[in-house]
Amino acid sequence: MSEAPQIALNSLPFALRFTPRRWWTRLLAFLFGDWHYLFASTGKGLVTRKLGEAITSFDSPLIPKLSWLVALGGYAHVGEDAVLSIAWACLLCMGVLLLLGLFSRPAAIIAWFLHLCAAESGGLFAYGADNFMTTGLFYLMLSPLPDRYSLDHRLLKVELRDPQLLGFWRRVLQVHMCFVYFIGGLAKCLGSGWWDGSNLWRSLTRPPFNLISPEILVRFKYALPILGISICLIELGYPFFIWIKKTRLFWLVCILAMHAAIGLAMGMYLFALVMIVLNLAAFGIGVSDGQSVSTQVMAGGSAEERSNVSGLAPGASPLSG
Amino acid sequence: MISKRIYAAWFVIHFFLITAVCFAGIFSLIAEGATMLPSAFQRYARKSELITAFVLGKEATASNPIRRGIATYLHAAGIQSGYSFFAPNIPGYHRLGLELYYADGRVEYVSPHLSGRAAALRLDSLLDRLADNRYEPIREVVVKMLAFSVWRDRPEVKKIRATFGTVSPPGIGDFEHGKRESFQPMFSYDFSLREKEKR
Repeated sequence: MSEAPQIALNSLPFALRFTPRRWWTRLLAFLFGDWHYLFASTGKGLVTRKLGEAITSFDSPLIPKLSWLVALGGYAHVGEDAVLSIAWACLLCMGVLLLLGLFSRPAAIIAWFLHLCAAESGGLFAYGADNFMTTGLFYLMLSPLPDRYSLDHRLLKVELRDPQLLGFWRRVLQVHMCFVYFIGGLAKCLGSGWWDGSNLWRSLTRPPFNLISPEILVRFKYALPILGISICLIELGYPFFIWIKKTRLFWLVCILAMHAAIGLAMGMYLFALVMIVLNLAAFGIGVSDGQSVSTQVMAGGSAEERSNVSGLAPGASPLSG
Repeated sequence: MISKRIYAAWFVIHFFLITAVCFAGIFSLIAEGATMLPSAFQRYARKSELITAFVLGKEATASNPIRRGIATYLHAAGIQSGYSFFAPNIPGYHRLGLELYYADGRVEYVSPHLSGRAAALRLDSLLDRLADNRYEPIREVVVKMLAFSVWRDRPEVKKIRATFGTVSPPGIGDFEHGKRESFQPMFSYDFSLREKEKR
């Protein structure tokens, strides 16, 4: 190549140097790269999927895993790579359908199943966010669907089913969140590092969570013990203060702020997002007006009106409605 | 009425299992002496851990249908592990260093990596697991696979030495005095890849 065209090429904006084909290749690599790398079988991935699945099978061979889908694809002469890509694409599609509220029930079941397969096959790589996502999808799959805001109800005119059960499932999620924070808070309180701030320092300086420079953290070293103790108290106090009408909004804002801070300061965006969604689903609806949900239940009304009541007041039977 | 009883029964069983799993985690931390509780608690925690293990069917044989049923349900609901994240204390992290020996005598130092940040977080999760004694039987296999994943991109490498160890970051006071993280090797493996390839 002569020098002139080379200079012209270099002067082009970076984005324009790629042909559509290269863009497509890069997009595919971006979308599927790590997915295939994590879940490929022996000789292709980082650690073979089969090892994680063998460990899961030791617990129980009935736990769903990606190998089931790969075996199923084998009967239809579909290769492993294609099955993994289809599973990924299906998971994405189910997520979009759930966001829109289209075909809610089948979308929730398929999303739960595919996510469980992936989480269990990649068990060696799993962390907390995977369990919370499985739990969230598990409850969603069992909840009365469709929701009144879903396109299923609005466009396809699918009738709302068992609206009073929505309160039960919301109560299940509420109690679950209380367990999560109480146990988390209790375990933290048992460690000396949360009282003197050293655990916060260690968590913020260890890779891959070290987004904030240690030099900046040192400047706020006197705030670390206060923040550490605050985290313990917020988590431990959650199952008590979240039920009290006067403190509910404050506690919810504190816990949401804590997760947002974890997401931004430690780069745990997925974990933060999942926890924020679960908290809002459990306690976020109707918290700002401070209205007791039981008041709305007592008021009765049509099935659609009652479907708005997606929770029960503390002390009320979760099965009443 | 019947369906209400079914829901109520499920509610009780579900949260009973969550309680058992969560407290099994807490008792395990106390029994290991990882908490600031006096050591006298460790004996009781160990006994309590056994009780929770019994409740969860973990004392039964691996093929026991009750044990399998409970395990399947726990995994399906995402409640198979407790919620003591970043607790009670945050230990050092782990690092796997790979020394790549080329035929021409060159030596390159790399670590296994993934392109996305979210996936990188998962790799760190795996490395932290490898340090756990429960994963000792598969440790060498996993390290070999991680080394193999690096070798696939560099087929001219003749030998790989994998060193796994704990990185102890300095405390805030030590950091202010200029101290930086230290690496303590736990184990290392040599993989001769050319021979493996020939085989």
